[in-house]
Amino acid sequence: MDKLRTNNEKLSDSTLWNQLRSGDEEAFSLLFERYYSPLVNYGKTLMSESDIVKDCVQDVFVNIWSYRYKLNDAIAIRAYLLSCVRKRIARYHEREHIFSKVKDVDSLDFLFDFSIEEQLIADETMAIKVQQLNRLINYLPTRQKEALYLRYHQGLSVEQVAEVLNMNYQSTKNLLHRAILQLRKDFPISVLALFVEFSINH
Amino acid sequence: MQNRNSYKKIEDFLSDESFQRWVRRNEDLTHWEEWTLESTERAKLVEEARLWILAMKVEETEISNEETQLALQKTWESIAQSNKRSPIKVIWQSNWFKSAAAMIVIGLTTLIYFTSETKIATNTTITYQELVEKDSDGLIEQTNNSDKPQLITLSDASSVLLQPKSKLSYPKTFTGNERKVYLSGEGFFEISKDPKKPFYVYANETITKVYGTSFRVVAYSNQPNVEVLVRTGKVKVSSNQDIKNAPIEEVMLLPNQAARFLRKKLLFEKILDITQDKPLLATTNSIEQLSFEFKDIPVSQIFRTIEQGYLVSIDYPTEKLNSCYLTTSLSDEPLPEKLKIICESLGNNTRYEMNGNHIIIISNGCN
Repeated sequence: MDKLRTNNEKLSDSTLWNQLRSGDEEAFSLLFERYYSPLVNYGKTLMSESDIVKDCVQDVFVNIWSYRYKLNDAIAIRAYLLSCVRKRIARYHEREHIFSKVKDVDSLDFLFDFSIEEQLIADETMAIKVQQLNRLINYLPTRQKEALYLRYHQGLSVEQVAEVLNMNYQSTKNLLHRAILQLRKDFPISVLALFVEFSINH
Repeated sequence: MQNRNSYKKIEDFLSDESFQRWVRRNEDLTHWEEWTLESTERAKLVEEARLWILAMKVEETEISNEETQLALQKTWESIAQSNKRSPIKVIWQSNWFKSAAAMIVIGLTTLIYFTSETKIATNTTITYQELVEKDSDGLIEQTNNSDKPQLITLSDASSVLLQPKSKLSYPKTFTGNERKVYLSGEGFFEISKDPKKPFYVYANETITKVYGTSFRVVAYSNQPNVEVLVRTGKVKVSSNQDIKNAPIEEVMLLPNQAARFLRKKLLFEKILDITQDKPLLATTNSIEQLSFEFKDIPVSQIFRTIEQGYLVSIDYPTEKLNSCYLTTSLSDEPLPEKLKIICESLGNNTRYEMNGNHIIIISNGCN
């Protein structure tokens, strides 16, 4: 057990996952420690009450342990966990709004706003450009924003983003591509003129 | 990952971790700076990608180690609680089960309601042959053509007593996370305990799942029902998902429960108390369908098995024999010999008296 713990950094997700699937409590704890914080942070992009988000993430882990012998191997652990948290939060909404408004997993709103890397901005011109771009990104439809977040912040592949968002591969690819295309259209020509021709042509 | 020389879209850069690190933390192990300056077209693209990264900062609050540990603790507590809510798991985790290797007797028996010409809907039946052909591992097949049970030892130290006119297919060594064997006819299984590798017996359209125990399976191909009978412990029986156009049926069985699989209708009937089910009781009374291989079993349980097998009643000092467990093999012994072996195992002060079908055990307890 102790050995497992000291080697925590070295053990890959899939090693831990397989040990967990065969009932290893220590592997379960290590995965929990590794993913609790990122999952809570993701959950907070979908629901503002952070206490409930934390409960949801814990419920996800309770279920994983309960069904450990039925879990699949060869899955992308991060994508799987993110998707579990998303479904769990959707279910919570569903219960809360059962008499008013039903929220299913497809209509969850991504509440998050991207911010700006202030300290990395060298000059005024750049600051203006980044601010404009940031505003445009945050105006995107929530689904496109969430796809961007999952793809570029969580580092998921397009297939995995599709899985988490419960969409097919091609529409996810289009969604991601449209988000960027749209912004380039909206972005003032003066700022991006140089790039537009290049990217459209490719 | 794609070679960066072929990057043509902003997306390519955004999903490149080392590019992100270069922009965010000025880590330039792969010489982005030089690479960028190699062409003006490239420089423009890089510049735009950089703007995107700067405009897409994700601010997160890292949860402290202490809080994570508290949450983990809370999660384990919830797991324990959800286990408590389920009576099945309580039985499974009780001290009785921890201290005594569980004995489960499953009789997969088939009742002949019709003559052997009965037509079982052929499109939904699954034959032993189909099951075996489907398994990609190289299987060994044993057929018992003799008139006595034949012992087979499996690679996981489990053993099977295969009855006459029965067949068993199994891999030379069990690999992966499951142990699967295929049975046609009847076999008595003693399965080594390995919670990480459940053991499956595929027989006709049913699948019986256990983690380690002993049980008997009888499944002949030409009979209309399959019955699964549980004495102690927990067993899951399900229909094979490969049955055409049929949903998977599943039954969880506790002690003294049984399931009858109707092969024509592809349904399980759950029998909550085997003593209330006449056809089933008729089969349980048959001694051939009971196992007398006992491994660390409370002596009261052994007496109950004898009662059912021989249609006798046994009186014994319940409290004095409360904590007595026996490991013994009584399969081939007649009833008097069985009782004698049990009494000798319990100690010098134990003996039995037999009056017709009533048996009295006299004992001061075991050591």
